[in-house]
Amino acid sequence: MAIIDPIVTGLNSGWLHTDASQLQENQQFEADVVIVGTGAGGGVAAEILSQAGLSVIMIEAGPLKSSSDFNMEERVAYPNLYQQAAAMKTADKAIGIFQGRAVGGSTTINWTTSIRTPKEALAFWAQHKSVAGLDPDALAPWFEQMEQRLNIHEWNYEPNRNNGALKQGCINLGWDYTVIKRNVAGCWNTGYCGMGCPVNAKQSMLVTTIPTALEKGAQLFSRAKVVKIEHHNGQVFALKAQALDVNLRPTSVELLFKAKHYILSAGAIHTPTLMMRSDVPDPYQLLGKRTFLHPTVLSGGVFADAINAHSGAPQSIYSDEFVWKNGADGELGYKLEVPPVHPILIASKTLGYGASHAELMAQFNQLQVTIALIRDGYHPDSQGGQVHLTSTGFALDYPLSEAFWRAARRAYASMAELQFSAGALKVLPISDGMPYLSSWKEAKESIAQMDLAPLRTIVASAHVMGGCPFGEDEKLSMVNSYGQSHYLDNLSVMDGSIFPTSLGANPQLSIYGITARNATALAQKLTDGREPQ
Amino acid sequence: MNRRTFLLGAFAGTAAIALGVNLYSPEFSLPDEGEEKDYRLLFGVLLPVMLDGALPDVATHKQAAQNRTLDAIKQSIAGLPDEQQAELFELLDMLENRLGLLLLTSSMTPLLMRSPSDLTQMLETWRHSYFALLQTAYLGLRELVMASYYACPEHWSRLHYAKPELFK
Repeated sequence: MAIIDPIVTGLNSGWLHTDASQLQENQQFEADVVIVGTGAGGGVAAEILSQAGLSVIMIEAGPLKSSSDFNMEERVAYPNLYQQAAAMKTADKAIGIFQGRAVGGSTTINWTTSIRTPKEALAFWAQHKSVAGLDPDALAPWFEQMEQRLNIHEWNYEPNRNNGALKQGCINLGWDYTVIKRNVAGCWNTGYCGMGCPVNAKQSMLVTTIPTALEKGAQLFSRAKVVKIEHHNGQVFALKAQALDVNLRPTSVELLFKAKHYILSAGAIHTPTLMMRSDVPDPYQLLGKRTFLHPTVLSGGVFADAINAHSGAPQSIYSDEFVWKNGADGELGYKLEVPPVHPILIASKTLGYGASHAELMAQFNQLQVTIALIRDGYHPDSQGGQVHLTSTGFALDYPLSEAFWRAARRAYASMAELQFSAGALKVLPISDGMPYLSSWKEAKESIAQMDLAPLRTIVASAHVMGGCPFGEDEKLSMVNSYGQSHYLDNLSVMDGSIFPTSLGANPQLSIYGITARNATALAQKLTDGREPQ
Repeated sequence: MNRRTFLLGAFAGTAAIALGVNLYSPEFSLPDEGEEKDYRLLFGVLLPVMLDGALPDVATHKQAAQNRTLDAIKQSIAGLPDEQQAELFELLDMLENRLGLLLLTSSMTPLLMRSPSDLTQMLETWRHSYFALLQTAYLGLRELVMASYYACPEHWSRLHYAKPELFK
C-alpha cells in the first residue's frame, strides 16, 4: 500500500518553502510575524497566527524531511532528525540529551505521550514563580482545543509487552498507573515514532499545524539558523540568519527577516542561547539558568519470554505513583515510563563492552526497560543546569545534585521492585559496577549500597525545559505569563523554555496548550480584533 | 584552526601532573577535506576487544563485520558536529602518538603491538579511573563503536531484530 506523503503533495501544490542550503545570495524577507523554530511551540503559533489572517514566516535550522525519508533506521534518523545526531550531551558528558532538529522539531521524533500540565506544577508556578492565569480550569479549554486538533486520545489497545510489564507491575503492587493519551490518527502500532512516523499517523507539527499554516500562505525556511536578534530601544527590528548547507554547516549566505512581531520557539536550549548571543536585556541574569531536563535513569529487566520492546506503541502506560509523593518541593519525585528498545539506543545506553555487553544484547528481545524521569526544579537542591555561550556555540552545565542521586537510588529500587513484580528473572540497574540482580530482596540490599556517580551512572534526557522563564515578576521571569518579553515590545517566547521548573510530565501537550492560549491572545492583539481573512 | 582543549587542556591540569611528565601539546586541527584520516588501523585493533562475543565466530564473517563496522564508524563520525569530531580526533590522534599513549595509558607501546588482554586492561583502567577525562575517553570510544556496530542491519540477526516491512 502506497503511503501518501502530505509534505511532498503540499510542496507540489505550491507551498512556499525555501531550503536555504540552495540559496546563492543574501536576501531579505518580511511578514507580519516571524517564528523561529517549528516544534510544538512554533507549529501551533504558526497555525493560529496564519488562521487569524496574519502573514507568517517559519524558520527552522534543521532540514525538511517527511515520511518518504523515514525508513525506520536509527542510522538515518539520528543524523537527519536529532540535535547533534542524537549525541548531544551536557558539558561534562554525564547526561545524554535527545532533541529533535528538523521541521516539526521534537514532535517529529517524540514518542507521542500527551499529558496535560500537572496541577501541582501549575500551583507551584502560581505560588512561587509569579505565573498568572494558568490554573487547571483556565487551561482546560486550551488543552481540549489542542487535544481535538491533534487527535489526542487514550491508546485503547493492548499495550506492548514493554508497557504491559509496567502495567502488570503496578497492578501487582497496587501502584497508580494511567493509560497514556497519544497524538495519533490511524496508527500502525509499529513502534518507530522515534525515527519519524513513516505512515504519517503521528499528529506531529510536521503533518498538522505546519501544513495548515502553509496552506494559509505562510512561508517556511528550512536549513536556516537564526543567529542574532537585532534590537534597539525596546523593539526588535530584524532577525539575522545563516543559511546552512546539507550537512547543516553555515554557508556564506545571510538572510534578514523583518516583521511586526517575532516569536522565539527554538526550544529550551536555543531560545535562551539566541537571546544571550543577541545581548537581549536581562537585568536579573536569568537567561540560560534553571534549565531542566527530567534527568532519567534506566533499569533493564530480563524476562523469560519475548518482550519485543521495539514493537508496538512506544509509550502507552505511565505510573505517577512516586512523582508528587513528597510534595512539590520535597524530595525529588519520579515518573515511571518505558522507552522503545532499538539496537543503537540500547547498545549505547547500556554498560560495558565485550562479552558482557554481547550477552546483554543477545537478550535484546527479552529485555524490558523501565525509566524514571526525575522531576527537577522544585526542591531547593534542584536548581537545574545553566546554558553558557562558547566561541562555537553553547555548553550546558548540569550538576547532578545530592538530591538527584537520592531520588535516583529510590527510583532504581522502585524500578527493580516493579520489574520483579511483573515477572523479571533478573534486573540490571544501568549504572557501572552493578551486577544482574536475581530477586527483589537482593536488589533492595544491593541498590541501597550501589555507587552512583556522573559518567558511571547512565543518565539521559529527552525533555529540555526552562532557561527563559515566564511570570509577572521581572526578578523571576524574562517574559510575562502570555510569553511576551518584559523588555522588547514585539518579541514573544512560545516553547518549553518558559517553564520555570520541569513539569513532572512529558512536555509536548503543555507546550501545545499554553502556546495555543498565548498565540491566540497575540493574534487578537496583532489583528486588533479584525476578523480572520 | 581553533586549538582544542578537550584532552590536552584538561591533561595539563590533571593527568600530566599525576603522571609527572611535561606535556608537549601540539596544535590540533581537524583533517582538511581530502586529507581523509579514518583511524581504521586503530579501530581495527580495538574492535575485536570491544565487540568480543558480538562479532561472528567464522573468521571470514568476522572480518566482514569488522570492516562493515569500520565503515560505519567513519559515517558516524562524519555525522557528529564539528566540536565533537574535533574532540574525538584529538583522542584518536593521541592514541596513535607515543607521547599521547604514554599520557593515556602509561605506556608508549603502540596499541597495534598490545595483546587483547593488555587492551582490555587499558579500557578497564579508563572505565574505572578517578579522572573524568579518562572515563570520558572510554565512554566516547565505547558509544561510537557500539552505535556503529549496531547501526548496521547486517548485525541484527544475533538480536533477532528486524524492522517491519511496511511497503511491500
